[in-house]
Amino acid sequence: MTDEHQRPRPPADPPATAEIQPAAEPLTLSGRAVRRLLLNSGSGRASLALFALMLGICVWVLATYPPNFGNDRWSNPVVWADNPKVAPPVWTNALPGVDRVEHQVDALDQPVEIRTIPAGEVRVYESGFDFAGGEAPSFLSLSLNGVSFSGRPPVVIATLIRPDGAEINLVSIPITAARPGETQPIRRFYETPERVVLTTGDAAARAITTAYQQTYPGVPAPNLAERLNVALFARPDADAPNGWALLPGTYRMRVQVVTADPATEVAPIKVVWGGTVFGWMGTDNLGRDLLEGLLFGFPLALAIAALASLLSTAIGASLGVLSGYAGGMTDAVIQRLSDIVSNVPTLPLLIFLVFVLGSHLWLIILVLVAFSWPGLTILVRSMVLQVRAGQLVEAARALGASRRRIMVRHVFPQVAPFIIAQMIFFAPGAILAEASLSFLGLGDTSTPTWGQMLEAGFRTGALYVGYWWWVLPPGLLIVLTAIAFMLLALAMEPIVDPRLRRQR
Amino acid sequence: MLAVARSLLVRALTLTGVLLAVLVLLVLSLGATGFSDRLLEAQVNEEVRGFRQSLSQTVRDPAAVERAVVERQTELEGFYGLDDPWWVRLPPMVFRVLTLDLGEARTVRTSEGSYEISDIVLDRLPYTMLLLTTSTIVTAVVGIAVGTRMATRVGSRLDRVLAYVASISFAIPGWWLGILLIVVVSFRLEWLPAGGMYSTPPPEGGFARALDLAHHAVLPILTLVPVSVGPYIYSVRTMTMTVAQEDHVLLARAKWLPQRRITMRHIFRVAAPPIVTGLLFGLAGSLSGSILIETIYNWQGMGRLYFEAVSGTPDEGLIVALTFVFTLLYVIIRFVLDVLYVLLDPRVRY
Repeated sequence: MTDEHQRPRPPADPPATAEIQPAAEPLTLSGRAVRRLLLNSGSGRASLALFALMLGICVWVLATYPPNFGNDRWSNPVVWADNPKVAPPVWTNALPGVDRVEHQVDALDQPVEIRTIPAGEVRVYESGFDFAGGEAPSFLSLSLNGVSFSGRPPVVIATLIRPDGAEINLVSIPITAARPGETQPIRRFYETPERVVLTTGDAAARAITTAYQQTYPGVPAPNLAERLNVALFARPDADAPNGWALLPGTYRMRVQVVTADPATEVAPIKVVWGGTVFGWMGTDNLGRDLLEGLLFGFPLALAIAALASLLSTAIGASLGVLSGYAGGMTDAVIQRLSDIVSNVPTLPLLIFLVFVLGSHLWLIILVLVAFSWPGLTILVRSMVLQVRAGQLVEAARALGASRRRIMVRHVFPQVAPFIIAQMIFFAPGAILAEASLSFLGLGDTSTPTWGQMLEAGFRTGALYVGYWWWVLPPGLLIVLTAIAFMLLALAMEPIVDPRLRRQR
Repeated sequence: MLAVARSLLVRALTLTGVLLAVLVLLVLSLGATGFSDRLLEAQVNEEVRGFRQSLSQTVRDPAAVERAVVERQTELEGFYGLDDPWWVRLPPMVFRVLTLDLGEARTVRTSEGSYEISDIVLDRLPYTMLLLTTSTIVTAVVGIAVGTRMATRVGSRLDRVLAYVASISFAIPGWWLGILLIVVVSFRLEWLPAGGMYSTPPPEGGFARALDLAHHAVLPILTLVPVSVGPYIYSVRTMTMTVAQEDHVLLARAKWLPQRRITMRHIFRVAAPPIVTGLLFGLAGSLSGSILIETIYNWQGMGRLYFEAVSGTPDEGLIVALTFVFTLLYVIIRFVLDVLYVLLDPRVRY
């Protein structure tokens, strides 16, 4: 493996002039020439298509994601509580094998029925769920997002009505009455929703056992205390090998709010039928929607690539031009310095610095830049030496142009195409280096990159239990982004190397 | 001869500069950020707490305990040099590390139970070297064989395909390829072990053990080779091609020399130095790459050691020592490479 974190460098002294062609014919970098070059080669077209796609995703992500996505959403377990854990993507159902259950979230805002009782009224909400069998849903949950009332607090009762007619009273949620000094109406759960998982707890287990005994008298009840999500969607079956069989059909979740005060307000009640498949890309062990994280990785990866390669190229190129043109002491100092920096083993030092200074994305980029400029400096210097000896510079000098003017106006434009190609070529290295650091657990957690998703998958052992949807896509996207840059660099090659231009 | 010695001396000085620069960087980042102070304070607090506990069991008077504890604390702070600023305290540590006295690890130890970091490094280094040298040899054989052949077909369709393959090979992070291989080769096909170095329990007998080790090394090497061989083929091809277009080759053709002779004497002899250095350079680079590859394959080499030092409860002493050792190894390989370059290329004169 070559050192991925640095520019491809020439072998140690003497500089491999083989790689650097002097400007045999004047290099042009007009917009039209570049466009023609990119559109005419297969790699150019492919890279343009990839970049258009990636930039489109970036725009969409930047426009729709919350500003502090990493901390507020991605690393916040509350947001993901109602998602199934480590669920594969929905489309895996198209593959042969077990038919998995799709995730269903219902927000119940209108009661289907309001019954008046002597003590007040009962509002009945209902959520239906068509269960095809195959695999039991992963969980069933109910969330109250807000209740405001005056006087006696309402009571919320959740009942599951099964296709076999059994009605299982799963939970009744008491709501705290007015505390001393609280003003009416009393508001509950608006700040933090009350989330009840109905597939855990002794009360639910007892309710299921009772329902089994009533609906299937005489059939021995299977021991499903640890797996209430299965018990809720199954029936006891003495013939089945494990004592139960899944019960397909239409299930209904009835939520009743019993209240004394007709002015009671209930915010939409959320009922979640936890699937065993989720979304386009599945979920991880915290229930995070991997699609969201994967999409967020695009602007991050492009930003890392753009920033790191721009900075590193700017430093490397300007030092190279300066070193080559100024000569003398300046040249010697810059060359010694870049010799030293380019011989530093990058990854161990990156790990060390990020470990000591802290995991911040900007810091990672800065450290990357700090160690990646010398390769370009050495290359550019040797090109500048050749340019300097050329007639153009000689003429400019004869006309009395200042050193600075010659450097900026006459030397730089001649090496610019090469520098730009090098910049593109360096970009994937930056993405890979960040991914490597993240993979070692040194990533900046406020900005979830693909490398960090991979690291989470690796650390929790997802790799070894076959959670492929968790570890493959982030790596694939890293590779894809890197390849987009490589293809662009490949398409730009004829600009840098005129010999290739003639051959095609 | 004098010129050769002089050029080698310059390289030796540069590489010593690298080593010093890295050490200065280590000291600066440890000292200026207060990291070293925090580290030592934590250590002192730990020892003081232990001391207080053992004392309070024997001494009844709380005031006496307190006095003794304060005394012990100042004593410890003096011992660790906490009353000196970091720029006084750290340089001696650098000199200690320079003499390869690397200190002790906190939790990691060798199979014989030694906590000495230098013992641990010596224990692990051969395993890393096994992976790196094998994969470098395979890369060299494949890269030179394919690359030189490609050089005669520059511009052909195959050449374009190779360019794509090389860029894909460059773009794939080695560790991700490793993950892929584990998923497919180990878990789907169950052909090769997914990680570790020996089966459990390890087989008896030296030869059987060596075979077992080789069996476990196949997948890591299969991971290391593809990511390095693509760019290498490409660079061999470019270097050979460049030399083949030079005037002296044209002259040789004009002289109607046999093709084989032209290839061997006029092209390879000239292209050999950069080709060889390119390869060794890759070896030096893969020293860092091994950190990740060894991590995913649970290969108990230097890289895995680094990962263990960083993850979980980080062991700062170990991290400093390992960063130094990695730099040292890197510098040594680079120097060997320079000597080789000078030997191979008679034109090198500074």
